[in-house]
Amino acid sequence: MAEIHKEVYGMAVATDLYERLAAHGITRRDFLKFCGTLAAVMGLSQTAVPQIAAAVGEAAGSGLYPALWINGAACTGCTESIAQATQPNVADIVLDILSLPQMETVMMASGEYAEKAGEEYAAANKGKYILICEGAVTEMLDGNVLRIAEKPYVEILQHYAEGAAAIVAVGSCAVDGGWVRAYPNPAKATGVKAYLDANISNPKKRPPVVNLPGCPVNPLEIIAVVVNVLLTGDLTKILKDPVKELNLDRQNRPKYLYGSTIHDNCERRGHFENGEFVYQFGGQAEADNYCLYAMGCKGPQTYRHCSKLRWNNNMSWCVASGGPCIGCGNFNWVDNNTPFRQRMRRIGAGVIGGPGGLGIAKAGAIVGGVVVVGIGAHALASKATHRIGKNSTLKNEEMKTYDARKLKKKGGSADA
Amino acid sequence: MHKPLKEMHPPVFIVTHWINAVSMLILIMSGLYIHFPAFSGFMGAARGVHVFFGIVIFLNCLVRIVLAFFVKDATTMGTREKELDIRNWLPQKENRHQFFPMLRWYLFMKKDYPISAKYATMQKLAYIMIAVMIIAISYTGFCLWGVTNQLAIFAVGNNLVSGLFGFGGGGSLMPMRVIHYCLMWVLIIISLIHIYIATMHGFVAWRMIFLYKEDPDAGEHVDAPAQA
Repeated sequence: MAEIHKEVYGMAVATDLYERLAAHGITRRDFLKFCGTLAAVMGLSQTAVPQIAAAVGEAAGSGLYPALWINGAACTGCTESIAQATQPNVADIVLDILSLPQMETVMMASGEYAEKAGEEYAAANKGKYILICEGAVTEMLDGNVLRIAEKPYVEILQHYAEGAAAIVAVGSCAVDGGWVRAYPNPAKATGVKAYLDANISNPKKRPPVVNLPGCPVNPLEIIAVVVNVLLTGDLTKILKDPVKELNLDRQNRPKYLYGSTIHDNCERRGHFENGEFVYQFGGQAEADNYCLYAMGCKGPQTYRHCSKLRWNNNMSWCVASGGPCIGCGNFNWVDNNTPFRQRMRRIGAGVIGGPGGLGIAKAGAIVGGVVVVGIGAHALASKATHRIGKNSTLKNEEMKTYDARKLKKKGGSADA
Repeated sequence: MHKPLKEMHPPVFIVTHWINAVSMLILIMSGLYIHFPAFSGFMGAARGVHVFFGIVIFLNCLVRIVLAFFVKDATTMGTREKELDIRNWLPQKENRHQFFPMLRWYLFMKKDYPISAKYATMQKLAYIMIAVMIIAISYTGFCLWGVTNQLAIFAVGNNLVSGLFGFGGGGSLMPMRVIHYCLMWVLIIISLIHIYIATMHGFVAWRMIFLYKEDPDAGEHVDAPAQA
């Protein structure tokens, strides 16, 4: 345990953390600002900052938590996202809490040695390690569509999953197949949770899955989950009821990360409320940073915190750089959100995903138009046959006789 | 021809009808604006108004259904005889057989107009459909609204719909959004047909619904009220 002899707002923080930070050129102020950002991301008040600092400080000095990172069908963008820092920063300190001997893209070892290292590490930490999955699970050809080290990925996933304490599915591909699963989904891609639910029959053997959708995942999203675990303190307690302890929603996403939409916290939100929109790129409205809603921005239906987390060391994010949100935090986001520059997906021939189909507004207007024309034609025909206006038909007595006759035929009573 | 009398449309139903009509109009206009803001300036107002009238039309629909079990109205045109509205609203034993004659009349295959209840059988079915539609479109609306969409009752719908269309998980609201939008068009179409048919026999229905006045010559064929 690290020696404690410094205080932040009355909370003890391990000294060696500050020494490590100082060695990276990070001041105490930088660290606290980072903890403040985390508190904001996690929906905590700023009074939680010292607690976060203390929890991180303690964990940073107390050894590494075993974790394994495996890759399925992915573009490795999530790994890139985690490794995005060009120099050691505060985020690295938190990520260093996780011991990641197996991370194929960045690890030193390769081939047989890499696989062996992963195997041994998993065996030594059986039932204790966190499995971080990146990439979709591809089921085509019994999973042989993706083979790693001469084994189908599905087999590797199932093997590591059965020995894990918990699974974190990072990025949309691991959550539900992501863009790999987009129509026509030739590799039969799906998410980690869906695959394990279908293939590990004993629910007790299925470790809890935390979903972090997004394309790619933001490093702060992973850090927030780590800090959440640190703040709770007791991993056994968390694993007993992860939904409650990690505050997960119905799709197993932490509520504090996916509880509000891009739109809720968008810096262009004021323009949206004022009804000031960009209708085409290149105009004055775009220069004035107006709202991108009319350009097909999917911010209003996408639950993520991009505007708060931002990317590349808090430099920017999609909407700030002028691009409408394409809803990468949604489930099956490619099928659901294309065409990206239109408000809604198309319907018609390609209703179950895929290109083509009809714009929904056009479809509605066509059907509405057909009905209006139909009504017009019916009205003209009714006029021609003297049905319009006051030229009606049976009198009450005649109606009653008619009804009685009909009822009699059916064996009913006309008195009702 | 027999005219609709005041007994056919009790004042409380005129009120619920108007709340429906106005809400629908506002919801359609604000909804289309939210779908695509073709001009500037109204988004905040459109969204606020849309949610407000969405709740209004839903509650109004529930109130109308409950009232049907308590309020009496005329059994048919041209009579002051009354019975519980729910009896008049649902197709009754004595006029269910009119369904096909009515269809034939609309398709110009029958000369006589076969109505002998408050509403024709097809009309009754259409009005039941409207209640079902309002509840369905309200439900899809609440599934989309951030304030309510994580409630179990709406999350189930989002899961079902996104699963049904192969869009996995309840984390995507797009399928529900598409359904909400399509239901709006169905309601527009039903409303257009409703207005057309209500006007087919002249403006007596307009006179009743706008001015709450009976046609001047409505009394001609009025049956005597039922003796108690």
